[in-house]
Amino acid sequence: MWLLSLFCLFVGLLIGFKLPILLPVVFVKYMSIGILAALDSVFGGIRAYMEDAFDNVIFLSGFVMNTLMAAGLAYLGDRLNLELYLAAVVVFGVRLFQNLGIIRRYLLKKY
Amino acid sequence: MRTKGGQISIMIVCLIVGIMISVQFKTTENYDPQVRETRFEDLTNQLNTIIEERDALAQEVLSLREKLTNINNNQQAVTDLQEELKKTNLVAGLLPVQGPGIVVTLNDSKRKVQPGENPNYSLVHEDDLLHIVNEMRASGAEAISINDERITAMSEIRCAGTTILVNWNKTVPPFEIRAIGDPVILESGMSIKGGYLETLKVLYGLEVQMQTADRVEIPAYKGPLRVRYSAPFESEEKAD
Repeated sequence: MWLLSLFCLFVGLLIGFKLPILLPVVFVKYMSIGILAALDSVFGGIRAYMEDAFDNVIFLSGFVMNTLMAAGLAYLGDRLNLELYLAAVVVFGVRLFQNLGIIRRYLLKKY
Repeated sequence: MRTKGGQISIMIVCLIVGIMISVQFKTTENYDPQVRETRFEDLTNQLNTIIEERDALAQEVLSLREKLTNINNNQQAVTDLQEELKKTNLVAGLLPVQGPGIVVTLNDSKRKVQPGENPNYSLVHEDDLLHIVNEMRASGAEAISINDERITAMSEIRCAGTTILVNWNKTVPPFEIRAIGDPVILESGMSIKGGYLETLKVLYGLEVQMQTADRVEIPAYKGPLRVRYSAPFESEEKAD
């Protein structure tokens, strides 16, 4: 399962590098927060999958909403001259590591 | 719930995340965030300054181009004016001229005055000169002088005692009247049968000589140019 996910990630990277798309400089910051949120969603999804608690709707909506919310938060922070994106970074970063740890444990148990 | 749909959605999301990450990589590679952070304002200021400079320079180019055309026009105008001035001076008699023409010499009669005869008849009078000058003009003379006095539009030929005034200068016989023009026409105009020269010569016995020349030199008008009372029309009320 996780191998499949990694494989898809690589395919996505390849596609992204081949695509002639460049982000406007202004959006780079929001995009990075969005990526962080998306990664968190992915790891959360994988973890839920391994815990047998996976819900497709929750996963997809979480992915979309988290990404957009994180980017929107960063944007709002910029408008307010407040580094709000740090909140997203901290929350998603912590959750990312938690999820990673849980996934690692599952994998260790499994093999 | 390890469903097929769950796997597929995770795969799709992974794909999307991969694309996002790679796009981000490419973008940050092209725009170094360090540079962007620290020099953003600097560069903005520089850009603004340069844009202002460019606009100013563009303005300057415009004005310089305008000046250039003006200068070209002015040079054209100056050459035109000089040409015009030369022509006008030529017509007004302010330039010495030379060309083909005719020279008429007039002198008082050497014949002895008979008793009872009016001695005035054997002298050259100012109206003789006037008639000759008039005749020369009618024959297409372009420049006329009497004893090296250029006849201009305002020149007078006037009797003043024993002398004749031309351009307010006294002249005495012999009178040498030079004219530039077509020598043939001038000569035939002067020597018309019953014309003035013939009358002077035959009737009054004055000494009249006439000869055409390929090169007649006529000096310029040397007197002062006084215009005290007349002024040109303003361009708007130009007489038609």
